[in-house]
Amino acid sequence: MKQMTEAQLSELEQDLNAIRNEVIADLGERDAQYIRRMVRLHRMLEAGGRVMMPFGFIPPVFVAATATLGIAKILENMEIGHNVMHGQYDWMNDPSLHSQTYEWDTVCTGDSWRRTHNYEHHTYTNIIGKDRDYGYAVLRLSDDEPWRPRHSLQFINYILLSVFFQWGVGLHELETEKLQRREISLREKLPFLKEFARKGGRQAFKDYVFFPLVTFPVAPIVLAGNVGANLIRNLWSSTVIFCGHFTQDAETFSEEECEGESKGHWYLRQLTGSSNFTGGRWLHILSGHLSYQVEHHVFPDLPAHRYPEISGKVQAVCQKHGIHYNTGSFARQYGTVLKRVLRHSLPEHLGGSSATTA
Amino acid sequence: MLAKQTQSRTLHWLGRQLFNRDDPAAFFDPLLERINPMWVQEYTPARVEQIIQETPDTKTLVLKPSRRWAGFRAGQHVNICVDVGGIRRNRTFSLSSSPILWQEQGRVTLTIKRLPGGRVTNWIHDALQTGTVIGMGEAFGDFLVPEPAQPVLFIAGGSGITPVLSQLETMAAIDYRAPVTLLYFVRTGDDVIAREKLQALSARYSALTLNIIATHETEEHRYLCDEDLDAIPGIKARQAFLCGPTGLMDLARNLLHQRGIADTDIHSTFFSVPQADLGNEALGGQVRFSGSKLDIGSEGDATLLDIAEAAGLSPRHGCRMGICHQCSCRKTAGTVVNRLTGQTSGPGEENIQICISVPKGPVSIDI
Ligand code: FES
Repeated sequence: MKQMTEAQLSELEQDLNAIRNEVIADLGERDAQYIRRMVRLHRMLEAGGRVMMPFGFIPPVFVAATATLGIAKILENMEIGHNVMHGQYDWMNDPSLHSQTYEWDTVCTGDSWRRTHNYEHHTYTNIIGKDRDYGYAVLRLSDDEPWRPRHSLQFINYILLSVFFQWGVGLHELETEKLQRREISLREKLPFLKEFARKGGRQAFKDYVFFPLVTFPVAPIVLAGNVGANLIRNLWSSTVIFCGHFTQDAETFSEEECEGESKGHWYLRQLTGSSNFTGGRWLHILSGHLSYQVEHHVFPDLPAHRYPEISGKVQAVCQKHGIHYNTGSFARQYGTVLKRVLRHSLPEHLGGSSATTA
Repeated sequence: MLAKQTQSRTLHWLGRQLFNRDDPAAFFDPLLERINPMWVQEYTPARVEQIIQETPDTKTLVLKPSRRWAGFRAGQHVNICVDVGGIRRNRTFSLSSSPILWQEQGRVTLTIKRLPGGRVTNWIHDALQTGTVIGMGEAFGDFLVPEPAQPVLFIAGGSGITPVLSQLETMAAIDYRAPVTLLYFVRTGDDVIAREKLQALSARYSALTLNIIATHETEEHRYLCDEDLDAIPGIKARQAFLCGPTGLMDLARNLLHQRGIADTDIHSTFFSVPQADLGNEALGGQVRFSGSKLDIGSEGDATLLDIAEAAGLSPRHGCRMGICHQCSCRKTAGTVVNRLTGQTSGPGEENIQICISVPKGPVSIDI
């Protein structure tokens, strides 16, 4: 990791705070209109997809309905749910857009997500051993983690994780790796498992029981369409999220170097541990603006549609302090993610040249 | 919070399964709001039908709430919510019309004074247009005239007249059979709210004695005094109703006590005080943790999270540095200062991050 003195770090902190304060002072009508427009669009897509689905016996309608519902779920999870739960819109004081009560259209409960993602992942970003999002305790993505034979087939695990992403995320808090090491007991996890079953059951009931049943004669078609929509969402969100922290140049950190760190050091870690990808406006919206992962990690609670607007300023700050701003086309970034998964399935000496910092 | 739950339990259960929210009826609100704002389910929509300028700084809004609103009793108030600059603001106002108007025409009125520095009242005065739909909650409050009739004394100051207007109108309509006296304090003659209405009432309702007193028209300010009360026949047997600025209420309470009137016979109600100039006032204050029924005093710049923990509570939190919003919770009243931005909040109900919020004066939070 780039070494900076405390004075440099505190200057970095001030520079970034200035960007943040400018946005905060300007929050208002425009941001409220933006998120309300997204919510409206989501309601239309969701209603449209559900209404079209029973007519899926006509093949093009099936494709349209499945895609519409899939996009509805993506929009709700990424641009609305994820961002609302970060508290990006808490200032609006709108009870249906409030971080602590929002519940999203996926298996993971809002409460579990707020604990594991908002708190653990965003506070301990990319600290090996503390950020459980790093490889999701399933994949070995850094040589800091010792190689085990089971890692050799991890590409298959990666595919499985992507396909069943919403279930993986839902079970993330179970901390299976700690259960295996007997650091915690299953009993401690019972309340979590109960919540998981309730929410998972609710999601499965909705998509795989209720809607197929109310359209009984065409139940298999509706079931297939709903499975398809969930799959589209799973693959897309997993891909976006992997591009955020597991690209070639995204750095990792050790617990020691982060102990008692200053806010400036926390900022530095967020800047160097995240990676962006470029693309058109809708690519950004459908990724919940996680395509601006760097900006998101530095300012997780600023309304995400502001990230493109402040990106230039963040880059200028990075340049001033000589910090690498990690970005590239979607295809390039994703390519390096796949390489990383593959390379670390082998032990260090066989994994080819180690990337710059990983 | 402002919504009324009317659906059957099965429907409600199903809605929760399908839409992942406790108020499933509101799921389509963002769409409905575009089609017809009166269809919104999250709160009771109320259309502003007319805006009447009462005095230079007071306006009356004539509202038509959706029919599912449950109605009210004279003297009660409602929460309203409006979006000002993208921010949902909740405020409480007394209903100034009589319930009879609601029953007959489906209309209610709110009489609202512009408060110096008040974000919502200023917006209502400067930006609110007829035809706009605002959100309303169900009526609440126990500032209610005694039933069966007993002699009554109202002491009102400034815009504190609003619940009294509703009561007098109702009493006149049902011909409330007991002496009723109103002492109404205003700064100057120009500040009398609903003067015509009051005069018409006292003309047609003979039980009412009306006494409007201007406090700031003479060299020496003319406040409530012994003579005012001694002039009221049978004052000892009266039920007293107070609504106005704190100074007036405290004074009235004292004078009534001196006349042997018990606290149980003195009723007072919410009155919106202009937000004091807190600029140079010290931080800290009495914190009420309403969920845990705890009152804790605090001094200096201790955050609400620290105060709660020192009191043995363990509110949910994460980073303690304002990043994760795990600690966000509902402030129901009071003003707080944001430690990161130095900004002072409004006095109404809103969400705050307790790890970076420092109380400024008394604060109530839902923990
Ligand atoms: S504890 Fe993280 S924002 Fe307050």
